[in-house]
Amino acid sequence: MTTLRMSNKNGETAVNLEQVRPEAKMQSIALNAWFGSKQALKDINLTVKANAVTAIIGPSGCGKSTFIRCLNRMHELVPNARMSGQVLLDGKNIYSKETDSVQIRRRVGMVFQKPNPFPTMSIYDNVAAGLKLTGTKKGQNLDEIVKKSLQQATLWDEVKDDLKKPGTGISGGQQQRLCIARAIALQPEVILMDEPCSALDPIATAKIEELIVQLKNDYTVVIVTHNMQQAARVSDFTAFMYLGQLVEFDDTTSMFENPKSELTEKYITGKFG
Amino acid sequence: MHRLLDRGLEQLTAMVFNMGKVAEKALAISIDGFVREKDTSGDVHELSEILLSLTVEVEEKAFGLIAKYQPVASDLRIINSYMKIAYDFERYGRYAWDICFIRKRLGGLKDCEEWIPHFIEEMGEKVLQMVRTSINSLKNQDTDLAKAISKTEQEVDEMYFQYLDKLVKEAHVTGQCTTSSVLVVRYLERIADHATYIAEAVVYIATGQKITLR
Repeated sequence: MTTLRMSNKNGETAVNLEQVRPEAKMQSIALNAWFGSKQALKDINLTVKANAVTAIIGPSGCGKSTFIRCLNRMHELVPNARMSGQVLLDGKNIYSKETDSVQIRRRVGMVFQKPNPFPTMSIYDNVAAGLKLTGTKKGQNLDEIVKKSLQQATLWDEVKDDLKKPGTGISGGQQQRLCIARAIALQPEVILMDEPCSALDPIATAKIEELIVQLKNDYTVVIVTHNMQQAARVSDFTAFMYLGQLVEFDDTTSMFENPKSELTEKYITGKFG
Repeated sequence: MHRLLDRGLEQLTAMVFNMGKVAEKALAISIDGFVREKDTSGDVHELSEILLSLTVEVEEKAFGLIAKYQPVASDLRIINSYMKIAYDFERYGRYAWDICFIRKRLGGLKDCEEWIPHFIEEMGEKVLQMVRTSINSLKNQDTDLAKAISKTEQEVDEMYFQYLDKLVKEAHVTGQCTTSSVLVVRYLERIADHATYIAEAVVYIATGQKITLR
């Protein structure tokens, strides 16, 4: 146990640093990524803390989405794409030869920009789809898992009487929460969100933001967003990326009150360009 | 790149700088009137009322900018600090009026021994210098000038306690002189505190560092 001895007027107190400092859930070490000959990420070293929301901000094309796609080995699915460096999940490199990429994607789920429920499936089947495909939940009560996932995604009360209706028959905001429920059903440890609210109206956005803050109790969340106010509202830590590089990483309050880099200051105050 | 927020910030800055001018004038007239036994209460009251209404205007403008643009980083630090500085300027005005009121209500320093008006004049000049420094450091975003206020603030504090100690030892000072002078010296010491708050805000705007200069 790491302890820090702090003095106050009542004497000395030992503080357990492991309790006050969230653990690293994921870590990128000297991470580089390319699409063909174009380098999209340059030497990214970033720690994602457990049970916290980490926001990645930066202008279009800065490498935000590529970065989170490297966190669950989705980058390698793109033709001609490659990477170097390491990504650690609980201290183990997810790119080591013995690691199964499917297992990694199960542990590190992804929610995309546009809600993308399976169009031919019901609400129920959308949530259960991942479990049925992986076959790992055979013998377990699917109904219970579907219900729990929809509850965690704060969608249950709105769809509990319509579980057999098509997943595409609900509103955009509800569809996005359905996609979050689908990700949760696989019981991931980390949820990556790539601009999850950019296709939603302000009310649906507010619901997702509230959900993101709740989700960190059980999961580690990384969100890519173009909306800086959204990053400020929901995240505990913020990373600013520019031209494939990590410019600044700090706790969100410090980042939005007193950024250290002039480039960050210019970007978040809208003085870019 | 010119942003929609910039126009609002320019207007807010102009309002706060204007308050600085009014506040400095109010204090200068008030302290001078008190030391030289002149009735300046009419002018000072008017300036103090202007400062009061300008504080409300600054607050409304600042709230409007926050609501419309959700500013962050240096923009947010400026708006937050200007709201506080507007309050400090309003307090300058209020103390200016209080000093006039003491002279009107309690008779000021007319029954005091000679050293007392001199002492208050000297302390008043020092405090006015701090007020001017606070305003100039704000206008020029000069953090070195802002930090330099710390030394004068210490001197004003020392003068304040020096004065109280001396009064306690001087048994022959009248009740009227004691009450008037102690209140005014106390107001001067508080004005110096507000000048220091402004200097701290200047440093915060420029660097994001919250420092204490007192």
